[in-house]
Amino acid sequence: MIARDVTTGVVASGIRTGKRDWSGVTFACVLLATLLVSLGILVALLWDVVKRGAPVLADRGVDFLTAGPSSSVSQAGVGLALAGSLVMMVIVAVIALPIGVGAAIYLEEYARDTWLTRLIAANVRNLAGVPSIVYGILGLVLFVDFLNRIINIRDTGSLLSGGLTLSALVLPIVIITTSEALRAVPKSLREAAFGVGATRWEVIRHHVLPAAAPGIVTGTVVSLARAFGETAPLLFVGAVRGFFSTGNATFLEKLFTSGYTALPIQILFWSTVPNPEFKSLAAAGIVVMMVILLAVNGIAIWLRNRYERTW
Amino acid sequence: MKMNRSIRWSVVAAALLAIVAAGCSSKSDTSTSGTAGGTGMTGSVDVSGSSTVLPISQLVAENFSNDNADAQVSVDGPGTGDGFVLFCEGKTDINDASRQIEPEEAKACKQAGVNYVAMEIGLDGITVMTNPANSQITCLNDGDLYALFGPQSEGFGSWSDANALAAKVGGKGNFPDEPLSIVAPGEESGTYDSFIDLAGIEDTAIEQGVPEDKAAALRADYQSSPNDSVIIQGIEGSNSSLGFVGFAYADQQGDQIDKVQIDGGDGCVEPSADTIRDGSYPLSRSLYIYVNTDKVASNPTLKSFVDYYMSDAGIAAVTDADYVAIPSERLDASRQTWTNAEGGGSASPSA
Amino acid sequence: MAAATGIVTAADLRGGSARRRREAVIRRAFGLAAGVSIVISGLIIVALIGHAIDFLRQIRFSWLFADGWFARRNEFSIPTLAVGSLLVGGVAMLIAAPLGLGSAIYLAEYARPAHRRALKPIIELLAGIPSIVVGFFALTVISPDVVQKLFSSATFFNLMAAGIGVGILSTPLVATVAEDALRAVPRSLREGAYGLGARRRTTSMRVVVPAATSGIAAALILGLSRAVGETMVVLMVAGGTGGSTFTFNILGPGQTATGAMAALAIGSDQVKGASAAFASLFFVGLLLFVVTFTLNVVSERYVRRARRHG
Repeated sequence: MIARDVTTGVVASGIRTGKRDWSGVTFACVLLATLLVSLGILVALLWDVVKRGAPVLADRGVDFLTAGPSSSVSQAGVGLALAGSLVMMVIVAVIALPIGVGAAIYLEEYARDTWLTRLIAANVRNLAGVPSIVYGILGLVLFVDFLNRIINIRDTGSLLSGGLTLSALVLPIVIITTSEALRAVPKSLREAAFGVGATRWEVIRHHVLPAAAPGIVTGTVVSLARAFGETAPLLFVGAVRGFFSTGNATFLEKLFTSGYTALPIQILFWSTVPNPEFKSLAAAGIVVMMVILLAVNGIAIWLRNRYERTW
Repeated sequence: MKMNRSIRWSVVAAALLAIVAAGCSSKSDTSTSGTAGGTGMTGSVDVSGSSTVLPISQLVAENFSNDNADAQVSVDGPGTGDGFVLFCEGKTDINDASRQIEPEEAKACKQAGVNYVAMEIGLDGITVMTNPANSQITCLNDGDLYALFGPQSEGFGSWSDANALAAKVGGKGNFPDEPLSIVAPGEESGTYDSFIDLAGIEDTAIEQGVPEDKAAALRADYQSSPNDSVIIQGIEGSNSSLGFVGFAYADQQGDQIDKVQIDGGDGCVEPSADTIRDGSYPLSRSLYIYVNTDKVASNPTLKSFVDYYMSDAGIAAVTDADYVAIPSERLDASRQTWTNAEGGGSASPSA
Repeated sequence: MAAATGIVTAADLRGGSARRRREAVIRRAFGLAAGVSIVISGLIIVALIGHAIDFLRQIRFSWLFADGWFARRNEFSIPTLAVGSLLVGGVAMLIAAPLGLGSAIYLAEYARPAHRRALKPIIELLAGIPSIVVGFFALTVISPDVVQKLFSSATFFNLMAAGIGVGILSTPLVATVAEDALRAVPRSLREGAYGLGARRRTTSMRVVVPAATSGIAAALILGLSRAVGETMVVLMVAGGTGGSTFTFNILGPGQTATGAMAALAIGSDQVKGASAAFASLFFVGLLLFVVTFTLNVVSERYVRRARRHG
């Protein structure tokens, strides 16, 4: 590995001359530079987006946040898109979180180390690496076509379809992060509870879960943030890119039969429409999205720092 | 544990808040309705089809929604051809079309039991564009268009490659030796079909000995896109680019692109609202809406929507969207078609 | 229920039958939840394979090797998509590998804890940027102001801009996994090297990095897998939405597997006929799934090897 004469030579010269290791310093600078280039790209991206989008937000303020889609640049807004994204986040929270946390609990607390358990765990890891567009196909086949045969939903896909598709996409992430949080809880805690006669579920419910809660919450928040920014799968389950209005539809109708859209889809539409003026609207939409993501991630980090325990 | 419970409650509270917010904000969707008129329709209307007609239908839908805040309207523009597939499966109520329905599509509609009526609603001129830096190209005739776009031009990487073919088919030729980068609609687009039709590509091809099944097509090796914005950006992005889109999109770009004059035999004509309306621009075409008449009978909102479309207030969207209005006799004819189709409507003839 | 003798046996500690029944039910419920993930995998595979077979039955084999990918003209050139995906992935790794590995080595080997706490968030922030935002950036800045300025022959829509955007998205993944691998190298190895008189650069590059080879390989493979699976940036800036001829030119437009699938969704929006064009979506999806699955499995092998040797 290290040539003998190199080391002795270096030691010798270091002791003898006290010369600075310039090549080492340069090397360190090169490495730091890569990190700073990443920072530079991040800053350039945010700067470009804010530069384009801030004037729109400054001009129109809350109106931009509540107005629906329109072909007029001065009237279009992200209102319906935000509403769609929020409702889908709720669907993801209601569906993916319980199932994901439940699956993780099973894998970490209940399952014995058999081939089946290892298969399930490997399967979850693979699902986490599947490109999001493939989940779009799953959504199309299962949550649009198949669902359409059971209940009456919009032909091309409804809010429910979108929410379910995102839930499937996010599920592996929830399982993995929850598993890690559960694994971090030391065995001694469980063993102490078993020692006083608790059943497995009681141990989990009263000791393991509360201890792992900060990690679980952080993980779920991260998963929700990921679902919030996803675009590709929604293209397959009927998210509308053009104009639509939901009229006086009841909430259930909006869920099942109305057109819907999501914030990233709205941004995509505005970015790719012929009229170049819409690009600034797209930038404004991105600013809104980044603010929400930053807030959500910030809360996750705060929660983690506040409640994290070191064992 | 206390912390556990408070987290649970905050999640539940956030969820409820989100639902309430979603429910509330969707009420004020499009915009505050100024005109308290309208018939207060509450049903739904699904419009799809041509991306060229999309801006018009979208504007009509928005104005309609202002007066009928309770109606559910959605407008999309995947392309005339794709739109007809949906329309003839009964999945949409109205199909926007930048060309007339083709025999196979009409047959599909008939087989699926979809009855429809077609109304001409506006005019468009297919605008051939190039980059402003390509100043040598100002006017092209049908022969030139064939030499640059036609089925025999596959492989022509620079403008001058097309000179020989242009000479053969009566084009002016004299193209510079610049890279020929073409961005234009593809087969799913009605604009593609209209272009082939209006520039006489098929006839010229058959004359030149191209087999019939390949004659009504453009060269296969250009960058095609159903997205007009991709086309515009492609033109702006390359110095010697070439392409075509609907007039409204081209006009909106101002000085970013150069509109090429077309010589249909009577001299070079610049595409403009006037030349399109009076027909002097050779590549003018009509825009239509196809309406599913069975659905009109069962859906009062749809009937009300088309009534609005054909009314003065509705049809104004054509010019608002930068397209060209049809002459008043043809507008009357369209209105008559509609009145006949739905047995007496409220569309008023133009004064 | 202690026996009259007063001796407590295990049977007494097991508790009432109600409690035990509740335990069994809860266990089964959690087991079902775990099963859902298998169900999802199964459904994905069934959905892809089923329709992919449909597609293959509808087409002629030669169509798979046509001059380009023009789904509506029945030209389904898989090589075009494969080359496109590889080109974009290649450019992406040219960006992600140096940036990611450089950052990882710096954070793991050189940065003091205080600096590390300050600099690590850069990577985390980059990881949180959704692909649509990078796509927009590629459309408005990377393509016109970077690629077209550097290469005058580049068209507005080109594969290189897509590759750069995808590279930005892959960098955090490479950095995070590589950094974990480097930090997992035991201190003893470093201390041994220092003890022999090696300086920091030698220790890092000749001792630690080679020791973390498996982990670094895993990071790069994961980065490539992410790059190949990325859709939005390609959709917005590679310019192949209407189709693409077979090309190696990264300065011109092209199409990747993901872009082709998304283009079918947008262009053929809502068109779910039995046409071969739409069915090609599933075939390409299946190929993409197999490729990313293989890459992920290979990367896992490397992670396991790292854990064993580390």
